[in-house]
Amino acid sequence: MEENKEIAETSSITVGLEEKPESIWKSVWDSLKKNKAAMISLVFIIILVLVAVITAIFPGVLPHDPYEQNLAKSFAFPNAQYWFGTDQLGRDIFSRILVGTRVSLSVGVIAVAVSLTCGVLLGSIAGYLGGKVDTIIMRLMDIMLSIPSILLAIAFMAALGQGIDKAIIAISLVSIPEYARIVRGEILSVKQNDYVQAAKVIGDKNSRIVFHHVLPNVMSSIIVRATLGISSAILDASALGFLGLGVQPPMAEWGDMLGRARNYILSAPYAMIFPGLAISLSVLAFNLLGDGLRDALDPKSRQN
Amino acid sequence: MKNGNIKKLSALILTAAVIGTAMTACGGSKRASSGASGSNSGTVALKDTFTYAQGADPRGLDPAYVDDGESAKVMCNIYEGLLKYSKDSTQVQPCLAEKYEVSADGMTYTFHLRKNVKFHDGTPFNADAVKASIDRQLEPNVSDEMPYASFVFGSIKAKSGVKEVKVVDENTVEIDLFSPETPFIKNVAMVMAAPIASPTALKANNGNLNEKPVGTGPYKFVSWDKGQNIKLVRNDDYWGEKAKTKNVVFRFITENSARDIALTSGEVDAIDGISASDVSQLTGAGDKIFSADGMTINYMAYNVTGTKFKDVAARKAFSQAVNVPELVKSLYKDYATPATSIMPFFMNAGSKDVKSTSFDKAAAKAGLAKAGITSVNMITYSNPRPYNTVGGQVLAEAIQGYLKDVGVTCNIKTYDWTTYKSVVQKGDYDVCFYGWTGDNGDPDNFMNLLDDPDPSMNVAHYNNPDYHALIGKGLTTAAGADRDKIYTQCEQKAADDNVWLVISHAKNLAAYSPKVSGYYYHVTGITPFAGVTVAK
Amino acid sequence: MVKYTIKRILMLIPVLLGVSLVVFLIMRVFSPDPAPVVLGEHASTQAMQAWREAHGLNEPIWLQFIDFLKNAVTGNFGVSYYTNQPVSNEIMSRFPATVELAICAIIFASVFGVLLGVVAAVHKNTFADYASTLVALAGISMPIFWLGILLILLFTGTLHLLPSTGRIDPMLQPTGGTGLYLWDTLTSGDFEAFGNAVQHLIMPTLALSLYSMAIITRMTRSSMLDTLNQDYIRTARAKGITRRRVIRHHALRNAMIPITTVIGLQFGSLLGGAVLTETVFAWPGIGKYTVECIQKSDFPVVQAVVLIIATIYVIINLIVDLIYAFLDPRIKYSKEEG
Repeated sequence: MEENKEIAETSSITVGLEEKPESIWKSVWDSLKKNKAAMISLVFIIILVLVAVITAIFPGVLPHDPYEQNLAKSFAFPNAQYWFGTDQLGRDIFSRILVGTRVSLSVGVIAVAVSLTCGVLLGSIAGYLGGKVDTIIMRLMDIMLSIPSILLAIAFMAALGQGIDKAIIAISLVSIPEYARIVRGEILSVKQNDYVQAAKVIGDKNSRIVFHHVLPNVMSSIIVRATLGISSAILDASALGFLGLGVQPPMAEWGDMLGRARNYILSAPYAMIFPGLAISLSVLAFNLLGDGLRDALDPKSRQN
Repeated sequence: MKNGNIKKLSALILTAAVIGTAMTACGGSKRASSGASGSNSGTVALKDTFTYAQGADPRGLDPAYVDDGESAKVMCNIYEGLLKYSKDSTQVQPCLAEKYEVSADGMTYTFHLRKNVKFHDGTPFNADAVKASIDRQLEPNVSDEMPYASFVFGSIKAKSGVKEVKVVDENTVEIDLFSPETPFIKNVAMVMAAPIASPTALKANNGNLNEKPVGTGPYKFVSWDKGQNIKLVRNDDYWGEKAKTKNVVFRFITENSARDIALTSGEVDAIDGISASDVSQLTGAGDKIFSADGMTINYMAYNVTGTKFKDVAARKAFSQAVNVPELVKSLYKDYATPATSIMPFFMNAGSKDVKSTSFDKAAAKAGLAKAGITSVNMITYSNPRPYNTVGGQVLAEAIQGYLKDVGVTCNIKTYDWTTYKSVVQKGDYDVCFYGWTGDNGDPDNFMNLLDDPDPSMNVAHYNNPDYHALIGKGLTTAAGADRDKIYTQCEQKAADDNVWLVISHAKNLAAYSPKVSGYYYHVTGITPFAGVTVAK
Repeated sequence: MVKYTIKRILMLIPVLLGVSLVVFLIMRVFSPDPAPVVLGEHASTQAMQAWREAHGLNEPIWLQFIDFLKNAVTGNFGVSYYTNQPVSNEIMSRFPATVELAICAIIFASVFGVLLGVVAAVHKNTFADYASTLVALAGISMPIFWLGILLILLFTGTLHLLPSTGRIDPMLQPTGGTGLYLWDTLTSGDFEAFGNAVQHLIMPTLALSLYSMAIITRMTRSSMLDTLNQDYIRTARAKGITRRRVIRHHALRNAMIPITTVIGLQFGSLLGGAVLTETVFAWPGIGKYTVECIQKSDFPVVQAVVLIIATIYVIINLIVDLIYAFLDPRIKYSKEEG
């Protein structure tokens, strides 16, 4: 759903530039529609978004209160009442996974939005201005890229303390360089195009040139990267949760649930299997959708 | 040129493929058995290696420089003190000292040392060695990195504890104290600070044996691979009964469940640090469980100097909201006893008679409403601790649940143990979770926590003149029924004032393969392995 | 080429300097105080203050940084707060474990990744293609730690086939040598120990390599498809050269260029993945150790490890770039670098 909105927005920007913009986005959509895996993923993602929104607005639809503990019923094996069993405090794992959707999705989307904004901004400035500014920004990005992102994120979390907001900050920070690099690279190649040169001659402001001429052209690779970025943000967040650096209790987060359940894998393996499945399926869906978008947006592969 | 490179690359990949296949092929072979049987006789063939898994590396192996349980378990096999605890209590027994006398005023202790004892490096054990081991932990030699020095030997500056160590002759040592201190004799048997280290080794290693421990114990140190294992080998020149198994390997496996799996799959022979919920899986797989009362207290402390819990009435009402027996039963199964006193009963029989606040939901609701308490700031730790195997977070969440039932919201903040200690120090909380593992079995070791001026020890910030007087009296009273009574009074005072919500006394839990015999986990948390054998 | 290489090497210096600064700031300015952990449960407030003073933590932050740089240049990273051992010893005793695991994982990932990719490309839209795509998708979607736990549950917990923790049976552990147990046991002819080390390596290798293998499979597949569509391949087939020969001698050879790059880049990401793998398998390497040290605020260790990992990472990247330039003469060395 998010993606469609983005596509729609992009197409409206593109209107001023291209002769027949609708046809491009329509053909992208048509080609995406033919990709079964991408469509199933899209449906799955829409369901995830619905689950996240509905459980937030109407918590009453959940089979159990995800935060209600029932010590007498801790580690109940999956049954008719508790579909995925209960955890160490007797809380319903199924309800906690449903509520966890909101956490994982919002980490994914917000982290990508933040790092995308910062990355695009830094990449555009570097790519467009060039010279010393470029060198400084890109050196900074190199520095961040040369520390494995999980280590950097762990160090940030250790410094900032636990909390979902802090996890978002840590994950956003570590993924900025990727976007900055992509945008800068694209801008360097687009910059030489005739219409950008023309805009310069007409006397457009730098910022105007970047936002109105250059960015729409790098949009397709950014959309693809952002979709894939959500999947890696979900993975990173779950890794932090697994290491016990993620959310504050009693919040339900998939990685955190998995990490806690790990101490009971002998007696209650289901407590870690279901959160693991939830992470894997969501990551898979965003990956497949990203792949589908890439194929649809790349004219060369569209021919195949 | 280009072709050449591709060829090299293909060759590389081919080699890789071969290695890969070899790896897969070897995968099926059975686990290697470790060597042949030792010199042990008997009807059952015995293995010559005992492998033990614990949760972490020791901090070090010099008794003067460490304070953690993981170090203690290894050190107790390498070093010995003048005295030791008996197998199933904290009664002191002769060890490197054959006997001792205390002067009538309780200020002079004379130790008669065992003869013909040698350290692992060949250095003879004598009175000079004893003096060297203690003197390095007294001013001016003592350093900040010796966590137990002042606890065991006191401080010359503060005029407490040991005043002087005198070498009377080769085999006699006299220790003079500043004032009579009944717990001193128990301290001498501790595995922290008190053991005697080889003076030759101390000289050779700059006074720190963390990496190269040399003692007089039944096992000698062989090697330490950080994060992996420590190996010990039998001391064949041991003065007493020699160890039964030739090699001992300590392995370090962080996760509880990973240790469980290592035990059930036969990678290791025994483990400690077991979640109560895994016990049935382990016994189901045929492993044996060691379970004994531990010397611990797991508690929640009220900040009595804060705004919310200044008054006893508020503290009492909060405590009444929690059904401690139910909570303990479900979190720790049968592997912790619900607490009604600070000390476990075996430390002081009088503790049984202490009347403490019990569960009363209606009274709690009324009391909290009267005190105007609707929300409480709670801080806790994330890691499992010896006194709380499920970790502070699970415990705090459980209590959060009980308070929700009486209309009080608890806001939990969780920190890892490192951060937690500094957060506690700042004192910015209404209630916090903590615990204590006893060092030496003396009641003072538990009860003075509530009289300690240091806020990181006395997390309730309790400061009561009557209580202070009781603690001072207990310190100088000779061991016996009169002294026990003093500590029972301390217990009752703390219970009446509702300073802590006492939760549980954890049991020491360990598991071992059915092939292992002679394994035990001492109440002070040490694991002497000299009597352990492993059948083939 | 030489000039380009030198220029690239010189450019590493400001990057590594920056890495040091970033880590330094995160650790010393924002991280929790190490004194309470180091001094333990019985530490008094004064003792902690004295300890901070003694370890220079009360100095102005820029002075601390200059001290760190001065020492780091001479290879002196100080002493671990927690063990009081030189940081270089602490790191060197754990480094071979990570290197051995990473090398096994990259070999495994490359071999099977290329194999699956080629099979998928050659048999496009067949069962083999779908199967390899499925493996690749699982690889990029399953969190390493979950996969690792599932493997342990299956191979150790249920089947009792493989050991789940550590590198080798301690009593078979080789002493001295390189610290790479496969190499040490093989060269000393101790095949029992070698077999034992291999068994310990299987699950961690699988868990760590699956993600990289997935990426390599996908890259190989698309790169092969591209090449197979090229005119000269069609020509070769038309000329009657066997399919097998075309694939092996023509298509794969050309597809290898982008694949090499991906393999190189994956080696860098493996160092990051090692953190999680080592945690799950109690593998005594540098990744697990670093996480522990971050959580304990053991500043000197974290600073040194991150600097070393970053150095390795940028050097591998440099080598990959150079190989790439070497393999593909179309790349100009003067190209603007990002």
